[in-house]
Amino acid sequence: MNEDSILRVEGLSTQFSTDHGLVKAVDGVSFELRRGETLGIVGESGSGKSVTNLSVLRLIQSPPGIIASGSVLFQGKDLLAASEEEVRVLRGRNISMIFQDPLTSLNPVLKVSTQIAEAIQLHHGLGRKEAKAKAVAMMKLIGIPDAERRADDYPHQFSGGMRQRVMIAMALSCDPDVLIADEPTTALDVTIQAQILELIKSMSARNKTSVILITHDLGVVAGMCDTVCVMYAGRIVERAPVDDLFEKPAHPYTQGLLDSIPRADRSGPERLYSIPGSPPNLIDMPDACPFAPRCARVMDICTKAAPPETALDEEGKRTVRCWLHSMESTNE
Amino acid sequence: MNDTEYLLDVRGLKVHFPIEKGILLKRRAGYVRAVDGVDFRIRPGEALGLVGESGCGKSTTAMAVAQLQTPTAGQVLLDGRDLAALSPQELRAARKDFQIVFQDPYSSLDPRQKAADIIAEPLRIFAKRGIITMDDAEIQSTALSLMDRCGLSASFATRYPHEFSGGQRQRIGIARALALGPRLVIADEPVSALDVSIQSQILNLLKDLQKDFNLTFLFIAHDLAVIEYFCTKIAVMYLGRIVETADSATIASNPMHPYTKALLSAAPLPDPAKERSRRRIILKGDVPSPSVEHRGCPFRERCPEAMDVCALSAPVLKPVGEGHEVSCFLYGEG
Ligand SMILES: Nc1ncnc2c1ncn2[C@@H]1O[C@H](COP(=O)(O)OP(=O)(O)OP(=O)(O)O)[C@@H](O)[C@H]1O
Ligand SMILES: Nc1ncnc2c1ncn2[C@@H]1O[C@H](COP(=O)(O)OP(=O)(O)OP(=O)(O)O)[C@@H](O)[C@H]1O
Ligand SMILES: [Mg+2]
Ligand SMILES: [Mg+2]
Repeated sequence: MNEDSILRVEGLSTQFSTDHGLVKAVDGVSFELRRGETLGIVGESGSGKSVTNLSVLRLIQSPPGIIASGSVLFQGKDLLAASEEEVRVLRGRNISMIFQDPLTSLNPVLKVSTQIAEAIQLHHGLGRKEAKAKAVAMMKLIGIPDAERRADDYPHQFSGGMRQRVMIAMALSCDPDVLIADEPTTALDVTIQAQILELIKSMSARNKTSVILITHDLGVVAGMCDTVCVMYAGRIVERAPVDDLFEKPAHPYTQGLLDSIPRADRSGPERLYSIPGSPPNLIDMPDACPFAPRCARVMDICTKAAPPETALDEEGKRTVRCWLHSMESTNE
Repeated sequence: MNDTEYLLDVRGLKVHFPIEKGILLKRRAGYVRAVDGVDFRIRPGEALGLVGESGCGKSTTAMAVAQLQTPTAGQVLLDGRDLAALSPQELRAARKDFQIVFQDPYSSLDPRQKAADIIAEPLRIFAKRGIITMDDAEIQSTALSLMDRCGLSASFATRYPHEFSGGQRQRIGIARALALGPRLVIADEPVSALDVSIQSQILNLLKDLQKDFNLTFLFIAHDLAVIEYFCTKIAVMYLGRIVETADSATIASNPMHPYTKALLSAAPLPDPAKERSRRRIILKGDVPSPSVEHRGCPFRERCPEAMDVCALSAPVLKPVGEGHEVSCFLYGEG
């Protein structure tokens, strides 16, 4: 294990039992997060990004959910084997999460500043007055206009974008070791998004905070991340340093995603590339590559067995799950 | 002035929503100036993209153009005829020529109707009113061929909206909008709710349909890259007004309004090297409220290049080049 490693997820599988069958939402996911690193998790809707990170924090509701296997090592301690209480403390103190849906994660009957102040009190052990002052300062920092006056507002009086920024303020005010941000800016305008991402970036640089950034926007990934995991159908199909991923995508799915984006920065082709078909149903997945039915480079073997994870470099920084690449390596 | 050069000619369009205070005795406390004097024109076969931040009035503009929202002021000329001045009967007949596609494919489809019936519904209504002549068999076969044209297999005809994915539902919405053979399609964020791989499928479909049926588009999105890809011209909107308009290529290469520049610089590029090297214009503050009356330029408080004159009066759109108009004092006095 790397010296610098702060969080290591190994073979994580999470499933939901539904009326239609067992949904394998996350299926054997492994990744490592180093101190100060920003790791992007990209993938289309339903690919398992949120469930992966909710599993890491042990926030999967059971039933219907169950973490079927795997380990989550935070500074060497397995969160999946730890007690409920230990995990709760870690969540407040060491790992913060910004949820995808800000409205449901704020308390509607508490003033905005009170909620931020509570998070600060909990973490820094400050008095109420000081905590409130810090909360207001934090609101200013995240660009809430007229912060002093708006501190006494309730969540419903804030716009969606402002609520999202309050969530971010709460997460940041705890100086966490790890920040998990699930689509933190998806609901926001680009100019506001730029403000928020800048904020997360500078905080991460200042405090050496490690960040897991979940998004489906490859542009955001390009600007924010050091390393990227591409998820498809509950699996990480490609993992790479950010420059490599954009320069030489190894998985046909990654390639397809990159070719599908309209580009403002260069004139592209008359027609965009589009990956045919739609994502698979996660119930009763066959033992095959889940991308095979949509893949332009599909081979016989792809429909007969799921490809193993193959390292593309010595240090194992680049991996891919694709028969095109595992055919080349002989040790499989 | 040659009116017929443009299929759609919107002049001085305003939509103000009254704000009412008080529970028993309602009194008017002011107005939300959602659309506050908008002018634009679209030639037949062209696609004009309307871009801007949340709340700037894009959807309200679309609704007013489609006459689903009564304008407070202004004209909406479709092929030279003012839609806002038509009688309800005339308007109903005229609707054949313009149709709207909405952002959320789910909430805009009737959950109790089967896909083919949803697509056929406008035909049925117009046939019943005697605006078009079609019997049931013709209507059914038109609906099926539209499904086929929009990439929906015939076996989907009897399925309900909840049985479809987001992209498929958007295809149903598009097929329905095309049923009456409109000349103008108003598409309000038609791909914003979709994943990139599905988004590119729908964008390609819309482009093909545009060619095949010579459609004219008013296309709304908040993603500049999507707009640049799909549209020949772009109008940038801020707080109920258009602040800059030009060809897509001109907006991309030579943006002039400080807000357009900020929008362009904030849009994330899928290129790590470019992202590292670019200088981003970070705007301060939020989009201001459209219920406050602004003296001076509405962008002034957030503008990195604001001058004294900007507080005194509001700039108007002025030509700065071939087909390029900007509303900003940096390029001459209002
Ligand atoms: N409580 C649940 N019961 C059943 N299935 C679930 C439940 N929660 C999630 N899933 C399924 O797990 C899969 C992964 O969901 P997840 O929310 O992680 O996707 P995501 O990648 O975060 O997508 P998005 O981009 O839409 O947020 C999906 O197929 C989803 O339907
Ligand atoms: N029926 C209404 N009554 C009062 N105010 C309204 C009404 N409809 C819209 N508004 C207001 O008008 C302004 C413009 O709204 P509109 O929906 O046109 O914005 P938009 O540009 O489409 O935003 P988005 O990108 O979020 O869709 C907003 O401030 C909105 O709150
Ligand atoms: Mg999610
Ligand atoms: Mg809108």
